Amino acid sequence: MIADDATLVRLMVSAQKGDRQSYAVLLKIAAGWLRRYFARRVAPPFLDDLVQETLISLHRKLASYDPARPFIPWLAAIARYRWVDQLRRIYRAAEESPVDEPTVASDEDAVSARLSLDRLFAHLPERQARVIRMVRIDGCSIAEAAVATGQSESLVKVNIHRGLRKLALMVERE
Amino acid sequence: MKSSDPDALIAALVDDLAPAAPLRRWRGLTMFAAATALTVAIVVLGAGLRPEIAAGRVDAVFLLANGLFAMLGIAAATTAISMARPQVGNRHDGWAWAAAMVALLPAAALAMQFIEPQVSAHGLSEGRCAVASVALGLIVTAGLTLWLRRGAPTSPTRAGLLAGIAGGSVGTFAFAFHCAHDDLFHIGIWHGAAILTSAAIGRAVVPRFIRW
Repeated sequence: MIADDATLVRLMVSAQKGDRQSYAVLLKIAAGWLRRYFARRVAPPFLDDLVQETLISLHRKLASYDPARPFIPWLAAIARYRWVDQLRRIYRAAEESPVDEPTVASDEDAVSARLSLDRLFAHLPERQARVIRMVRIDGCSIAEAAVATGQSESLVKVNIHRGLRKLALMVERE
Repeated sequence: MKSSDPDALIAALVDDLAPAAPLRRWRGLTMFAAATALTVAIVVLGAGLRPEIAAGRVDAVFLLANGLFAMLGIAAATTAISMARPQVGNRHDGWAWAAAMVALLPAAALAMQFIEPQVSAHGLSEGRCAVASVALGLIVTAGLTLWLRRGAPTSPTRAGLLAGIAGGSVGTFAFAFHCAHDDLFHIGIWHGAAILTSAAIGRAVVPRFIRW
């Protein structure tokens, strides 16, 4: 189900007032949006966890939404925060499986491009973005990333650390 | 609260829903104004107003420096208040210009020491001034920390730093109504040190209270 931002704002305003029916609809739409949003930027085994963690954050931080502003950029900021947090927490074994292209409606394209997770990577130096993708998303080991990028293992670690620190500062950046 | 079934999680969240009053910017600003007024009142009622100020005679350096500290406090506090309400597209960098302007005070004080070295005549009392400013700044820093806890700052370390800068700036601004020294060296170095110390405390301590 894809809803326009004005509908989501109305649902959120009702949810902030305690309307459970609106909240249930909002959470279902948000869950679908988050699943598409994270689809190619999270290893499949972690996707459900990340969507659920973000929904819980949305629930705990309901008061931080300003009804005078659009809903999706607020949800995207929360999603990015949880995503960066997960990147910082998880080192996982390599586990690759093909992922379907996210099905994003055409009228969402412009907004999605501005809010996307790739947009954050674009602000990182390539040497940092590449090793974060390889180790934290694609599941390569530090040694594999070092060989593939020509960096020493300690440099890979340093670049991951610096890159994640920068990502954490850029969560709200377009 | 996580569940293997997303629908079960959504049902649990819906069941747990309670009305949540949105964080309004004006409420944050009102809290900041009240904390600032309380800080100034503590200085004026507790330590006493400087006789010159009470008599309506103020030095130009006092006005200029405290105007800058007040502006930095306002800039840092309004930014921290905005950070409680995240949104992709927000920018939180305006405070840096105010900080750069305030940094001119210690820079000018140090430059003058090179050009025309002077031994400070105030001794250890200058350090007490900085300690008092840092302590007073905790009121605003605590208020902003509570505000940020209710919100969702996406960069807790930056938000903590700003809460510290705002507190230090307000503490310095308030204590200046009692502080007897108007010279550039004292204001640049010791009042500047108070803000730096508050910023370091905010950066180190506040994030653990506002991380989510």
